[in-house]
Amino acid sequence: MLFRDAFKTATRSLTHGKMRSILTMLGIVIGIASVIVIMSLSASAEQYIVGQIQSMAPNMVNVQPGAPVMGGAPSSAMGIVIKTLTKRDVEALEREPSITNVAPNVVGESRIVYENKSKSTIWVATTPNIFKMTNLNFSSGYGFTNADENAYRHVVVLGSKIADSLFGDIEPVGKSIRFSDTSFRVIGVLETKGTGIFSMDEYAIIPLSVGQKQLRGIDYYQELNIQFDPTYDSEFVKSRVISVLRTSHHITDPTKDDFMVTSMDETLNMLGNIMSMLTIFLSAIAAISLVVGGIGIMNIMLVSVTERTREIGLRKAVGATDNDILKQFMIESILLTSIGGIIGIIIGAGTVGLAYFILITFFSIGWVFAFPISAVILGLAVSSIAGLAFGIYPARKAGKKNPIDALRYE
Amino acid sequence: MIEVNDLKKEYWEEETPTKALCGVTFSVEKGEFVSIMGPSGSGKSTLLHILSFLDRPTGGSYKFQGKSIDEMTDKELAYARNKDMGFVFQSFNLLSRLTVYENVEIPLLYSDISPKKRATLVEEAVQSVGLKEKLYTAAGKLSGGQKQRVAIARALVTKPDIIFADEPTGNLDSQSGLQVMEILESLNDKGHTVVLVTHETQTAEFANRIIKIKDGMIESDKQIIANRHHRENLK
Repeated sequence: MLFRDAFKTATRSLTHGKMRSILTMLGIVIGIASVIVIMSLSASAEQYIVGQIQSMAPNMVNVQPGAPVMGGAPSSAMGIVIKTLTKRDVEALEREPSITNVAPNVVGESRIVYENKSKSTIWVATTPNIFKMTNLNFSSGYGFTNADENAYRHVVVLGSKIADSLFGDIEPVGKSIRFSDTSFRVIGVLETKGTGIFSMDEYAIIPLSVGQKQLRGIDYYQELNIQFDPTYDSEFVKSRVISVLRTSHHITDPTKDDFMVTSMDETLNMLGNIMSMLTIFLSAIAAISLVVGGIGIMNIMLVSVTERTREIGLRKAVGATDNDILKQFMIESILLTSIGGIIGIIIGAGTVGLAYFILITFFSIGWVFAFPISAVILGLAVSSIAGLAFGIYPARKAGKKNPIDALRYE
Repeated sequence: MIEVNDLKKEYWEEETPTKALCGVTFSVEKGEFVSIMGPSGSGKSTLLHILSFLDRPTGGSYKFQGKSIDEMTDKELAYARNKDMGFVFQSFNLLSRLTVYENVEIPLLYSDISPKKRATLVEEAVQSVGLKEKLYTAAGKLSGGQKQRVAIARALVTKPDIIFADEPTGNLDSQSGLQVMEILESLNDKGHTVVLVTHETQTAEFANRIIKIKDGMIESDKQIIANRHHRENLK
């Protein structure tokens, strides 16, 4: 039997019971659509997060006080006060040829007040280097300078959301606000970055000297952000930072490090691994519906073989071989799952498009539409393989039928 | 064309053997019209199934066109059924959702005939049974007589040497039955060998030879002068 004829015969059988074919496909449609949505959204999320990290902090190495606990986060991240990062470390790091900028910081939380409005805000006290190191742009005003830092000037740069909630339509630059019982003059407002893990929209940035000495009254830093010359490899810079800090802290035994250095590449890799694991995990859950859909196909194909026993008998009586019958039922099964797969891909793409529209329109999240071609290939391959795997048993059963028994079947 | 020698068929059900054929010997020459007659359970249908390669014997020998069935694989049997044999069943065995054209085309799908040639063969076959105007009608919408004529068209579309008919008039009224027998008779006149199984004497007498079977054995095997005036009696 020619493949064209087998295909035509299979199509005719499927279109004869349209409703049954549609319901049979449903499991595969849902499974493939779920896999497509999960793969597409996680690819977009990864692109978005990586984009945010790269745009906010290119060529960066981060130093946290305290040794990593069990190879994970440093002890300082667990709320333990560690005072090991000091001005001497910053000065030593600034002498390194591969390092271009160092921005130490101290963080606090205060209620910011302007006239009768107030808002609880996290402030970051750092050096003016931070404006050079990160791609922070100003919608109005400017950032503070080394002169402001050295003179302990009470100046502040506001994130766009704080500026909006405190000032509304009023221009904030030049106005005075109060926090921690101290008056600050607003000298700049940052551009909106949108909702995101590195958004500064809800932060206030003040000179390091003011935050560290006057507001917190401490002489250590809570974090060092280091920018390096992009011609150097990040692993090399990381090793140099570790070496400088060990010398500065008089550490000879590497197991006794009282700091933790992380490069952005490491963060990106770690993030990529987490996202991949998450995608695999979620896709595996979605794949369960593919298996359920496949079993549904097998069930319907078995019913179809039983219902069409006499037809099988007739076809064999007039010359069909076991292989011809097997081919016909296999094509039916693969057609069912492949069409289901294509519909699933279309529905998946539509759902992803809708999700992006909602995220961009209603949540101002600037996600990039990522529709990985691998997801489409995977969807088609998985659906076809499901048809093959779940169709082979019913098809073999049909092919092996004895023509006389099949013709006598009531 | 057909040589059967001491043919036996035994079925086993729950370790109990049932003998359907107990040593049948006869031959059929090309161009003959043979009726196999017998009461229900006599083994006539079993014999037809073996003769038409739908079943295999458990004893004896069967040669079709000089070749023994024992030497043929299932694939070769399927090829012979398609190329050399045509089948007409009591219950028509048409696929009701398909048109007359599609039903008649089925045997050709399993041959190596080109799609263009197929169309010509189908139209010729349907025309020869007088149903050209029903070519694209769904088989399920036809009367019993028309369905059996379509089944005959399907049987002769591959231009087989021999046509096997299993109680072809069993589900038809006498008028339709007569029409069907006339078609089989005309096919025999054109050179097709016809082997018919029936329990109706009037139908059997369309043949020029009647083999009577009882309890799996041949009771009689007689040449007759074709009693074709029977159609007048049937009318």
